[in-house]
Amino acid sequence: MSELSEQQVALISAYIKQHGIAQDELHDDLLDHVCTSIERLMDDGKNFEDAFEQTIKLFGPGGLKQVQQQTFELLTEMNETMKKVTFLFGLTSTFLLLAGTIFKLQHWFGAGLMIVVGAGLLAAGYLPMVLYHKLKESPSNERLVHVAGYLGMSLATVGALFKIMHWPGAGVMLIAGLAFLGFIYVPIYYFKKYQTSVNKPITLTTSLVALTCLVVVFALVNVNSSVKFDQGLAFAEQQSMTDSYTDRSTKMYVALEDVSAASDIKSVSQSGWQQLEEIKIHLITTAEGISRAEAQTMPLAHMGKKYNYDIPTHILFGDEGSEFNIGAIGEALRKVDDGLQGVYSEEVRPLVNSSLTADLSIMFDHNGQSVDWETFHFYQRPLIGVIGHISKLQIDIRQAEYQVLMYLLSQPAASDPPSGG
Amino acid sequence: MYICFMYSNELVKGTLKTIVLSLLAKHSRMYGYEITQHVKEQTGGKIQLTEGALYPLLHRLEADGLLLTEKVNIGKRVRKYYKLTKTGSETAGSLVAEFKEFTQTMGKLIDSFIYKPQYNV
Repeated sequence: MSELSEQQVALISAYIKQHGIAQDELHDDLLDHVCTSIERLMDDGKNFEDAFEQTIKLFGPGGLKQVQQQTFELLTEMNETMKKVTFLFGLTSTFLLLAGTIFKLQHWFGAGLMIVVGAGLLAAGYLPMVLYHKLKESPSNERLVHVAGYLGMSLATVGALFKIMHWPGAGVMLIAGLAFLGFIYVPIYYFKKYQTSVNKPITLTTSLVALTCLVVVFALVNVNSSVKFDQGLAFAEQQSMTDSYTDRSTKMYVALEDVSAASDIKSVSQSGWQQLEEIKIHLITTAEGISRAEAQTMPLAHMGKKYNYDIPTHILFGDEGSEFNIGAIGEALRKVDDGLQGVYSEEVRPLVNSSLTADLSIMFDHNGQSVDWETFHFYQRPLIGVIGHISKLQIDIRQAEYQVLMYLLSQPAASDPPSGG
Repeated sequence: MYICFMYSNELVKGTLKTIVLSLLAKHSRMYGYEITQHVKEQTGGKIQLTEGALYPLLHRLEADGLLLTEKVNIGKRVRKYYKLTKTGSETAGSLVAEFKEFTQTMGKLIDSFIYKPQYNV
């Protein structure tokens, strides 16, 4: 019975390692196998060299490496439990995200929770599990690319979650995530695939489609900036309308200097206007956590909480005793209405009514429900809408003021109002 | 990769696990080379397990908890003996039973196809 010498065993061991068997367990198996086979052949009268050659031949070209590859594939095939858990995570998270989005669009209860849990499962459960599997089956020089890709996906998911929930930091995460995907993962991954691909045109187009999708997502995320631009324009427009009415009224007040009624009009409209201004300032300072002076000059588009509807709803509808309660808005409008109409006869009534367009007595239809004026315009409305609507009411006041002044000026005896008072 | 002089790859592929597990059920422990030689001798060379098929399978079965290994030093090298775990022998039993039934069923099925010559003119 032949037995190999230590040197011969060491030689075979080196040969096996040299041919790409990195795994110790497999190396031990193959070493023993090759040695035993050689020993048996030597028993039959062959010399070491011939026996070695004959044994190695059985593995075929690239055979040793292939054994390792096959072992690797068999070992990394996901076990059933892991497959099931991954499948369940993927299914649950996508279901929650879809349902949450629908709930969110419909303003139904539970949308936030569903989206948070769904995105959490996706970013912290499903994606890492798929990455783990990918890492196991890919060669070490590709691992970093996969890590970058899955990190990108997780970041983009969490960023989107933050975006939907209006939490801070969403933009940074989204951009970082999409950058990982767009600049590292997709180009490298598809380049590699392209090199080995049999259907090069298809690989090329799929990589282009993937990149295009990323660009579209990126554009959608950044659409915000064009919305900001529109909001900026709307804000400037409201501002210039207010300025325009104020300018004209100021000139008319100069002309109507001697008319005592003019100062009544001024004080009535100014106090109503100011009351609304105070509510706006309170809303902005509370939501944004900034000072009064900052609140007065900050454009709506720049407000971080502009889409938040909890804060304005809480302020306006939360505390009925508060001076910033929704009732104060209606009250301010009614005071201006009464003040302008009360002092002057029937003739200004249509002028005032045509300017103060808000009809607080009618009911509105909101998703099939009949709601009052306050609820329709202010309940569960985002900050941007609430502020915008109050600004519109302020413009209405300025316009009514202007109309009444115009009427006064058109009167032959402007200095002698019909009834003092 | 399977090198078979008699049986096609497809045929042996599905039975490899059954072969290895039932072989280990008969012998308390075996090492890789021993398994290939045993199968070769018992089948008269009609079925030859290659290293490329055997070792990946052994490692997978070990990872799945069907097999255990015992290492024995032989000079400068280590010999790994494979033996069945409890789950392993249960699986071996059910695989063998399934395979026997399968060959019977296949036999019946094939018999029913066999052309029966008719001597009507």
